[in-house]
Amino acid sequence: MIARRQQAGANPRRIDARLSLLDRQVLDADRVPVQVVGDLELSHVSLDHPIPPGTPAPVITALLSGPVLATRIFGGRPPTSRLHRIDWADVAEIDVALSLSVRGDTLDVTWVERWVSEHIIGRIPGGHSDPQ
Amino acid sequence: MNKLLGLALGVLTAIGGFLDIGDLVTNSVVGSRFGLTLGWVVIVGVVGICLFAQMSGRVAAVSGRATFEIIRERLGPRAGVANLAASFLINLMTLTAEVGGVALALQLASSIEPWLWMPVAAFAVWLVVWRVKFSIMENVTGLLGLTLIVFAVALFLLHPDWMQLATQAFQPSVAPAGAVPEAGTTYWYYAIALFGAAMTPYEVFFFSSGAVEEKWSIKDLGESRLNVLVGFPLGGILSLAIAAGAAVVLLPKQIAVTSLSQVVLPVAEAGGKLAIAFVLVGIVAATFGAALETTLSSGYTLAQFFGWSWGKFRKPAQAARFHIAMIICLLIGLGVLATGVDPVAVTEFSVVFSAIALPLTYLPILLVANDPQYMGKYVNGRVTNAFGMVYLVIILVASLAAIPLMIITGAGA
Amino acid sequence: MVESPGVTVILSDLLHLPIRDDSGRTLGVAADARFEITDDDSGRPAHARLIGLVVSRRHAGSFAGYERTSVTAPWPIARYLRWRHRGSFLVLWEDIAEISPQAVRLRSGYGRHPAQL
Repeated sequence: MIARRQQAGANPRRIDARLSLLDRQVLDADRVPVQVVGDLELSHVSLDHPIPPGTPAPVITALLSGPVLATRIFGGRPPTSRLHRIDWADVAEIDVALSLSVRGDTLDVTWVERWVSEHIIGRIPGGHSDPQ
Repeated sequence: MNKLLGLALGVLTAIGGFLDIGDLVTNSVVGSRFGLTLGWVVIVGVVGICLFAQMSGRVAAVSGRATFEIIRERLGPRAGVANLAASFLINLMTLTAEVGGVALALQLASSIEPWLWMPVAAFAVWLVVWRVKFSIMENVTGLLGLTLIVFAVALFLLHPDWMQLATQAFQPSVAPAGAVPEAGTTYWYYAIALFGAAMTPYEVFFFSSGAVEEKWSIKDLGESRLNVLVGFPLGGILSLAIAAGAAVVLLPKQIAVTSLSQVVLPVAEAGGKLAIAFVLVGIVAATFGAALETTLSSGYTLAQFFGWSWGKFRKPAQAARFHIAMIICLLIGLGVLATGVDPVAVTEFSVVFSAIALPLTYLPILLVANDPQYMGKYVNGRVTNAFGMVYLVIILVASLAAIPLMIITGAGA
Repeated sequence: MVESPGVTVILSDLLHLPIRDDSGRTLGVAADARFEITDDDSGRPAHARLIGLVVSRRHAGSFAGYERTSVTAPWPIARYLRWRHRGSFLVLWEDIAEISPQAVRLRSGYGRHPAQL
């Protein structure tokens, strides 16, 4: 997918999660679609404890996907063990889609695609031939 | 010279690819009952699909994003899933109608029962999706579909009363001479059906995904604009020719359109066996082409919404879920047809449901076409937006009126 | 500052939470979270820091964020959506006193900042 290059903007810049990060396509280093951003993992947020003034703000530590679609529609959240993580450190660029600096098949999140590819599609004659 | 040939190919493919089983059946039904008094709907529909295809093509070329990616990003999960469910199901219904249409056309050509052709048709559709290069697929089905021009030729050969046809077209409130009187509600029900047949949503999924498949960029926009603005209206003229032929041959004898035999009757009367041969080639090509497009659209909608790797430009093993989804959709369509349901009936419902689903795809495209984050400086101009808003209203009205009219008129009985 | 043991906090935990001032009065719901992205030398968005929450007075659903961006076309839609989300404002991280699974409580003297990006 050809993600359009944004003009060089201010650094640092401000974005809103629902407008610019959530539900966006994630592309790997070869520009192959990997997943959709279902949710974001945040660091250093303590729940049910008063936050002392001067506490540093949380940062995004990972992109999340998994059963989050259903929970974002109906409420609740999946247990942490069922969420697929992509480290924020692997994010190379934020534009109309998010690009990673790593290849998709190194990531856990692509296991369904790899499974279908190896066990079903790859077994049909012609599954590996280049259509161009 | 090459450039000129390329442009001509694009336009011809657009004309030949414009018609599908929905257009063939609906225009025929409408012509046989209402003459050309619903002709204005075809014109409204053609302008609408030109607008819609242009916007979605521009969005895809400039932003590199195809329709369902945009729908998910702009509407969020809740509205996006609802949109996906409705669009996907209606697309599946249209797919079923098109595969059925291929089988019906092959039956006319061979006198072999359609139930035997259906698995063959479904398999052939899959095989082409699996192996054939995107542009070859488009060009071959589009060019072969051009033989449907025989509908226009047939109309001339029938020596119709042009004045009468013109009267019907320009005085839509007056029932055509010799027609069985129809209720006003039935007239408007068929107006919506005809609108849905012209503005098929799958066309837009396919067009915008195709733009990404063929790696369009900004410099391809001019050529696509030409294809759309010349090709689609000429395709619309063919729609009118089908309706006019039905008005001339079927309406006076009150012949009801229940199968493809009645759809091709005007051609048979005008040109005999040779004309029939041409029209059958055209119908097989047009419905097969539409079956390919709806199958690919079902893959595109799911893959783009869920963020899977997709595209015919990739090896199937690198777009595995995309391909398995399409295989499953074809099997579902085949399963529905195997229950013995009449493909013509499925077609008649699919066009109305297409009209109902239209706002779901149209609104996100209209919004994104105005968003500088996606479009840069290629956002909609004021004229496009004016047309865009007018059509948004038309589409919403048609969508909301469809079900009540369907109930009141008993689905146009 | 202790992380609740074993619980990873995700964005959905924060969105849609009611936002209350220190007297318990509900001001609205968290419609979105604003982040400041700092690129490192190679252009990677290395640091994405939460700077605040966008509070919407009435609805948590933000249709395409029209009330916060400069997209103004098509104008009837933009005007309608701006009207629907009037009164949205931003509260900063520094003004958040406590986050519980039920609500976000602000410190006294919190500031209302414009929601415009």
